[in-house]
Amino acid sequence: MRDGRRRFVVRIARAAGVVPAVLSLIEGRGEALPRGQETDFAILDAALVIEHHAIAVYDTGLQRGLFPPGLRDRAVEFRGDHVGHRDTQIAISRERGGRPPEARAHYDLGPLEPGDGFVRQALQIEVAAQEANTALISHIDTRDYLLSAAFILVDEVRHMTVWRRVLGFRIY
Amino acid sequence: MPSALALASTGRRRFLRGAAAAPLVCLGRPAAVRATEYASASEVLDTIDRREVEVAGRLAAIARAIAGAQAFADSVASDQAGHRADREKLRHRLKLPTSSAPAPPPPDLSLAALREAQQELVHAHAEGLPALGDAGAVAVLARHLVDASRQLTVIDLWIEAEELRA
Repeated sequence: MRDGRRRFVVRIARAAGVVPAVLSLIEGRGEALPRGQETDFAILDAALVIEHHAIAVYDTGLQRGLFPPGLRDRAVEFRGDHVGHRDTQIAISRERGGRPPEARAHYDLGPLEPGDGFVRQALQIEVAAQEANTALISHIDTRDYLLSAAFILVDEVRHMTVWRRVLGFRIY
Repeated sequence: MPSALALASTGRRRFLRGAAAAPLVCLGRPAAVRATEYASASEVLDTIDRREVEVAGRLAAIARAIAGAQAFADSVASDQAGHRADREKLRHRLKLPTSSAPAPPPPDLSLAALREAQQELVHAHAEGLPALGDAGAVAVLARHLVDASRQLTVIDLWIEAEELRA
């Protein structure tokens, strides 16, 4: 991950509430945590706070009509995917005796611009989710969680690619 | 067999829309939606090799026939060349046998068939990660998974555009 992008991902992850130990993994600063159940819990928690943040972005955009009208269905679909990721990861955590983090009561999403400006905001959280997942996935110890994280990554890349296409960025 | 949790609400979501809402109760999902459980890293890499050749063959045939598809085909070919080189390094490091060259697919200009082949390539990466047993290999194939998923989305957008045009 290049430095500028890494700083951006870390900023989003920190804003979402990712704990410092996992932030260091996202930053690529080596094996900060030993492999095992505790690390899996830390990664699950980090993934969950980012999912909560993503859902908050989509909820805000949908409730306030900030997505361009022709893209509302996409936003609804992507929000649904994030809700599915959240529920799956909460279930994985609870199944293993974890205490998954809940969503915050309030998210400071900064200035909210309608139209392409809000698509850019949705793209940012998707990029952060994808980059964080890509950085963390090789630290996951449990096979089931690794498989789940892989398919979540597939969804995040799809969201990111669609929003990049909408904004006129290169997608291949 | 992987836990039902592992597949709920993920890339298999088109088959699992109902299950996604209740990840703990989808144990009875049909066999068709079960993930492939690979036995070894070698099997994963061999499967990816085969899937990749199929995508490359189908995309090359389409690019020869459809104006405007060549740039995407070239981009995918470039990514795949890098991925193949990475997999060879992995095979060498993990002391795995080299795979035999897979046969190319029959000529077919169907975008739907291309999409299916690309989706199988994505699934081979995703479902293969747990069988690798090596964090470095997981990191490499996860990056390849990102590229393959992006290419799958480009194909999806391409198909959508064709449908709108029709």
